[in-house]
Amino acid sequence: MSRRSVSEGGQTRRNFIKFLAAAFLLFRPGAAQARPLLSSPVKVNRLRPPGAVPEELFPAKCIRCGRCAEICPYRSIKILDVRYGVFAGTPLINVEEIPCYLCMKCVEVCPTGTLRPISQEETRMGLAVINRRRCVTWLGLALCRTCYNVCPFKEKAIHLDQLRPVVDERFCTGCGLCTHGCPVNPKAINIEPIYAFRKKRK
Amino acid sequence: MPSAKKENKKYNSIRLLVQFLAFLVILVNPFLNYYWHFNFVQGWYQSLGVGKLWFVSPLEGLESVLVSKTIYLPLLVGMLIPVLVALFLGRVFCAWICPINFLCELEDRLLRLLRVKRQRDLFLLPKRLLWFSLIGDITLAMILGAPLFVFLSPPGLVGREIMMAVYFHTLAVEGLVVVAVLLLNLFTRRFFCRYFCPLGGLLAFLGLKRKLRVVRAKEACNACGLCQRTCPLGLSPQRGESEGPYCWNCGACVDSCRFGALNYRWVSDPAGQTDILPRGE
Repeated sequence: MSRRSVSEGGQTRRNFIKFLAAAFLLFRPGAAQARPLLSSPVKVNRLRPPGAVPEELFPAKCIRCGRCAEICPYRSIKILDVRYGVFAGTPLINVEEIPCYLCMKCVEVCPTGTLRPISQEETRMGLAVINRRRCVTWLGLALCRTCYNVCPFKEKAIHLDQLRPVVDERFCTGCGLCTHGCPVNPKAINIEPIYAFRKKRK
Repeated sequence: MPSAKKENKKYNSIRLLVQFLAFLVILVNPFLNYYWHFNFVQGWYQSLGVGKLWFVSPLEGLESVLVSKTIYLPLLVGMLIPVLVALFLGRVFCAWICPINFLCELEDRLLRLLRVKRQRDLFLLPKRLLWFSLIGDITLAMILGAPLFVFLSPPGLVGREIMMAVYFHTLAVEGLVVVAVLLLNLFTRRFFCRYFCPLGGLLAFLGLKRKLRVVRAKEACNACGLCQRTCPLGLSPQRGESEGPYCWNCGACVDSCRFGALNYRWVSDPAGQTDILPRGE
């Protein structure tokens, strides 16, 4: 391979192999973490930004340009790093930390159509599900209705049934404002991903 | 050539300036976006948005289209300008804009400043490797069902790391790829760019029939070999390799030539145009 003189060739080659080995270590994604490299990071309360294509298509279509994260005024969108295997560089929203306020700026800048340009009402990042054994209102311990108050589609996505919150899956966008607002710990209302998996959900 | 000496560093200085400005864009942008919500210019060299005008890196776009098997019109429109540039001007993105090449040139200049005696390029591989890395990258992406270059591309990673640092006050692990590329540059100039960059491969492929070429005037050339030593890609313009597929039109050889034998030419017919007389002077 090397066109150098024979005397230096051995050293050169050794160095080169060392570098190849180092490069391999670097390129091996997630060597340190035992995180599954091909399974999606989308799970409860960890959601794709609005308008995302189905999760099977997402890592294929997204070119990881990060523009959705750059434009997000609320810093909701985070960029995954290489520990997430082939999902490195894709955007993810942790609604417990910062939910999506549905400003719909990210869908306008996505150059690949991975986030399709849709309206607020059409957004389906996931579906809010109330855990009635944790919700203090449903347990009859208090009269909390934070999720109802913060819901951007109040009376549609969440309405009160005898003062208890009920989610309507026809209107819930999965923005996560309710999860973010829920004072109960662990959260009594969580966003379940709906587009996430065809196979089993983990 | 009385004025040849004076203009010696013309293209090198212009290139450094262009590279610096291009780097400034991705360096300043995250700050503007993060602290002042100034979103007019956005992204980095994977996808750059200037107002309503989008640029998408051709390889990333191609991978996205091939792997997801869907066509999205704005994506194709965004790829149009880079592809046209590559068709007419060749791999100029690599030489004049790519942040990796900018960092490599800074590294070269730093070494020169520190007076580090630099050996010739240590590891040489067949130049054809560039095509194989392009094919390999696309094949691997299609097998894996996820594009690889999009998150392991050194040019993109520079932008991503700057953005990560500004936005999340942290650096992503994959930034080590950039460090590795810069380290390899110490041993062989542009080692990654020469042999392994799939984006460079694609741009070189698009630029096979490019119009802008560095053309050698046979009469003026006395085969001193200066251009060969200057070329960051290890090409030999005096043997006509600057007109070949691997040249990225950086103009370093044009500057190095003391006899004015090398110059940019707009070659309308790629074959048999090398015999034109040296113009001017």
